[in-house]
Amino acid sequence: MAEPTAHELEVTGSRASGVTLPEPEPAEDFKGYRGFSRAVLEKTGARVWCEVRLNTDQGDFVGILLPRTETADDRHLVIKLTYNGYNVGIKTATIRHIEILGYRRAHYKIPEQEFPTDPTKPNVVLLGTGGTIASRLDYRTGAVIPAFSPGELYGAVPELADIANLDTKKLFGEFSENIGPPHWKAVAEAVVEQICERNVAGVVIGHGTDTMHYTAAVLTFMVQNLPCPVVIVGSQRSSDRPSSDAAYNLLRAVKTAAEGDFAEVMVCMYGPTSDNYGLLHRGTRVRKMHSSYRSTFRTLSDTPIARVSQDGFVPIKPQADYIHRDMSRTPKLTPVFEERVTLLWYYPNMHPDIVDAMVDNGYKGIVIAGTGLGHVNKPLYPALKRAVEKGVHLFMTVQTLWGYAQMFVYDTGRDIMELGVTPLANMLPEVAYVKLGWVLGQTQDREEVKRMMTAPVNGEISEREPFDGYLVFQGGLPELEDYFKRYRV
Amino acid sequence: MRSYPGNAGEWKRLGFRCGLEIHHQIRTEKKLFCHCPAGRYSDEWHAEVLRHMRPTLSELGEYDGTALMEFKTKKEIIYRLNRETVCTYEMDDTPPFLINEQAIDIALTIALAFNCKIVGELHIIRKQYLDGSIPAGFQRTAIVGVDGELPLSNGKVVRVVQLGLEEDACREVSDVGHRIVFMADRLSMPLVEVVTDNTLATPEEAQEAAERISRLLRATQMVRRGAGSGRQDVNVSIDGSTRVEIKGVPKIPRIAALTAHEAYRQEALLALRDELRRRGFDGGDRPGRALEKNLAGLNFNRPELAGAGKAGDAVRAVVLPEAKDLLAWPLAGWRVFAQELAGRVRVVACLDQYPNLFHSDGPEGGLDEHDRRLIEREAGCGSRDVAVIVWGPPADAETAVNEILDRWAEVIDAIPNETRQAMRNNTTDFERILPGPDRMYPDTDSPPYAITDDRIERARVLVPEAPWERERRYREQGLPEDIVARLPISPHAPLHDWLVRAGAIEPVRSAEVLARVLIALRRRDVPVDTLSQDQLEDLLVALGDGRIHREGLFDLLPAWAERPGLSFAELLADLGWTFDSEQQRERVIEQAVQDALELARSEQPRDPDNLQRMAMGHAMDELRGRVAAKDVLARIVQTAEV
Repeated sequence: MAEPTAHELEVTGSRASGVTLPEPEPAEDFKGYRGFSRAVLEKTGARVWCEVRLNTDQGDFVGILLPRTETADDRHLVIKLTYNGYNVGIKTATIRHIEILGYRRAHYKIPEQEFPTDPTKPNVVLLGTGGTIASRLDYRTGAVIPAFSPGELYGAVPELADIANLDTKKLFGEFSENIGPPHWKAVAEAVVEQICERNVAGVVIGHGTDTMHYTAAVLTFMVQNLPCPVVIVGSQRSSDRPSSDAAYNLLRAVKTAAEGDFAEVMVCMYGPTSDNYGLLHRGTRVRKMHSSYRSTFRTLSDTPIARVSQDGFVPIKPQADYIHRDMSRTPKLTPVFEERVTLLWYYPNMHPDIVDAMVDNGYKGIVIAGTGLGHVNKPLYPALKRAVEKGVHLFMTVQTLWGYAQMFVYDTGRDIMELGVTPLANMLPEVAYVKLGWVLGQTQDREEVKRMMTAPVNGEISEREPFDGYLVFQGGLPELEDYFKRYRV
Repeated sequence: MRSYPGNAGEWKRLGFRCGLEIHHQIRTEKKLFCHCPAGRYSDEWHAEVLRHMRPTLSELGEYDGTALMEFKTKKEIIYRLNRETVCTYEMDDTPPFLINEQAIDIALTIALAFNCKIVGELHIIRKQYLDGSIPAGFQRTAIVGVDGELPLSNGKVVRVVQLGLEEDACREVSDVGHRIVFMADRLSMPLVEVVTDNTLATPEEAQEAAERISRLLRATQMVRRGAGSGRQDVNVSIDGSTRVEIKGVPKIPRIAALTAHEAYRQEALLALRDELRRRGFDGGDRPGRALEKNLAGLNFNRPELAGAGKAGDAVRAVVLPEAKDLLAWPLAGWRVFAQELAGRVRVVACLDQYPNLFHSDGPEGGLDEHDRRLIEREAGCGSRDVAVIVWGPPADAETAVNEILDRWAEVIDAIPNETRQAMRNNTTDFERILPGPDRMYPDTDSPPYAITDDRIERARVLVPEAPWERERRYREQGLPEDIVARLPISPHAPLHDWLVRAGAIEPVRSAEVLARVLIALRRRDVPVDTLSQDQLEDLLVALGDGRIHREGLFDLLPAWAERPGLSFAELLADLGWTFDSEQQRERVIEQAVQDALELARSEQPRDPDNLQRMAMGHAMDELRGRVAAKDVLARIVQTAEV
């Protein structure tokens, strides 16, 4: 049976006596409702946040009319039932009358309290780029919206005040996937400004997790000679849920920035899926490895720098293998990025026209993620040769992610190098991509580009791979804890 | 001190009101939001995960009271994971998969069985639980139907306000101090929740309603059986009180006594409030007074207090003004008011070994004369004041002090909004503050799910006849009470009804097989469930028309259950129970009777009646099931007399 159109529907509206509604605000009043359902709301005078009695073919439903997810259909109204707080969808076509009983607009407010300042505690700044360290719900998309001021954060995670004096600065509010070169430059500049002019003990950067490791790598290149920690942090479970990792991640990141004896760009996220401790990952060796796990970030071809928890830091790397805090250093800022750079993930039977297309579209640098030790198939050779001849800079990384590109082992590798492709040892493909963009932002000279790419800034190429650098799980489950105890720390 | 049963008229006088939330797991193959197998439990585990819970804002921007209380308790929560039954969804490391369709269909049938209105669209809601029983910190739950009904035997109709579909929580293994341990295997098992309004007006009505709900659920054959598959939360209030929830009542037959005792407790608390008012005391924000000082150094006799300093524990005290004689105020079933304080301290301060407090209000307070004087002097108690002492790790003792002050302040409101747990003697003890609607917010990981009319109609076909309707009919059929109890919720009830309606068999004979014989055999581990309803129909029809006889079922059914591939005719042939003709039947009976008499005579009975009885036994060994016992007996008598 076809459902009636809005004008066919005989639905009426009324308002209980004494009920007054605020000034109309069309964007809010029909939030998420369109087509048929919106027509019914308009006709009956009901709006989002009204408490309503819906008289339907089945009987009455009383609740608060909620905004609707915009992508949902236009055949249902969503109400939060007054007596039990549940949400249900009511088929709009069954509604005969809507009585407005009141108006109760949600006020999302993380209890905001002034962040207590203690002159004996170190100052830490949190730079916001997006992500959900603290958040509230957005009905329009059903997603969560970050809350961010120091007072809001203090309201949500009061333990922060035991660690540091926290100031916040919102740079922008972008989902992780939308962050790119302009944002990277802005973050790099803000980091240097905070360190040089605000005299902070460390910088924390709130970031969506999807591309956190790109930002971590590029900041390592753009801001060198750091005096103090720069810690990137986010959450895998949004902070609108009781089991969120956000509060712990933030506490550990702030602790690292305030007290940690480090002077590198690091990612601070869960070690195990348990709440026990976080890991500090070097910005050039870290990668998001799981789409939803809390402990998604892993250091590849190396170990994390240290564990961090409320109790303090447990170094995993030897003291000599990471950079220590030295507040006398002055950071060196190079916020440049050549955007015509790309990352080519090789697969069997890749056709050369892919490479040709990149060259013809003006790409100046291509990082290849090759198979095994750094290989591509023969039909690609002429295209690679042509690219080099056209002045494109070509580099080889490995799609195994762990291990080195070692192109002398097989003839294939030697042939590819002969074409002008430079292997990047154990640099991660994503790291190579952002480094090439950063290098090409400074020079186009073939030899200089090659020199800069192969000279590590901070561990993106490591001379030695520790025997336990190849661990996907870096702690957490009991059997792996045993492994750690036996072989490490 | 009052205890159940009281007198029948008092429920009306008290204004007893009760509502039920009946939870029952449903029979799906997989869990509700992931693809783990459903209904498998084991105490074996392969890994542990440690988590904590932190309150968050609800959808309307408020913190929930329970949530804050749970956060105060700062528990370490340990989840034990078994590879077979837990995936990354239960660990809250993977977002939910789309909701289990089989579960929706079952929930729809159950909602329709209660005559609920079905919602147009399912909205998955997160209901916060910070007790740790769910790693996400919330339960995913949705309303499938609202506004149904449940008739009671006295003609009253109770409203079923909602029918929910939700995921089950973890099984608690232990809860000691600040560490609570759960097995995660039960987590995310699909269950339905049936919620009634609060119009149940006596404890007996409450119990009957729970029984009827449970029986209707089981009559659908779509719910799980066995220990732990069903749990009841019972809400009780009386005039002048607020709603109190008794959570996780394990057995329905305890509901009457539990709700009665809870009503008595509330009545006693109202009287306690009135007594305080009579003493000219009505609260203020925090009428009690805490001593800031740690009393661990004092010279107590009581060993717990004397030893506290050495153990690093603090001893703290609270003065409750005007509380003289009130800590032993009787509540219900031997419980007294001091236990209200102790329950809070146990849960919120994690001081979970009773006794966890002493007080100066008489010898029941656990202190001798010396200690009583000592604390009264130290605390500066007036003659009408009472001192309450707690001890434990300093942070916990501090929490305990504040909790006692809070609970004392609530005496003026009489009945705090609490969730209480059922104790063995059918009284209740504090579990947590009753959560409000503020703990609900939408599940941003799940899209709304529209329910089509087709789907509702498909579900409606599977709604069983109400067990109470069947009970009435079975009584009319003259069935015995044990069968009236069992058959209406048996999967065989429709077969019985059909055969009786068709006149194929007398009701009592069919019912006896379906509700007694099959159960008896199942208890002897005979796999009778291998037989289909069609096979049972063939059997009952043969029983009805005299082809087989009752006495033979304990031979026939085990044989068939072992080889359920046989048809009924094949089975009879295989057992040698068929006769080629009437003449052959006669010959077989004749031969069996003669053999039996001969054998009996050889046993030389003194009494001729005994001879016949013994011969009957021997003959039935041969003829059991194939020939009616009365026919065999008649033939023996006839032959013996010749």
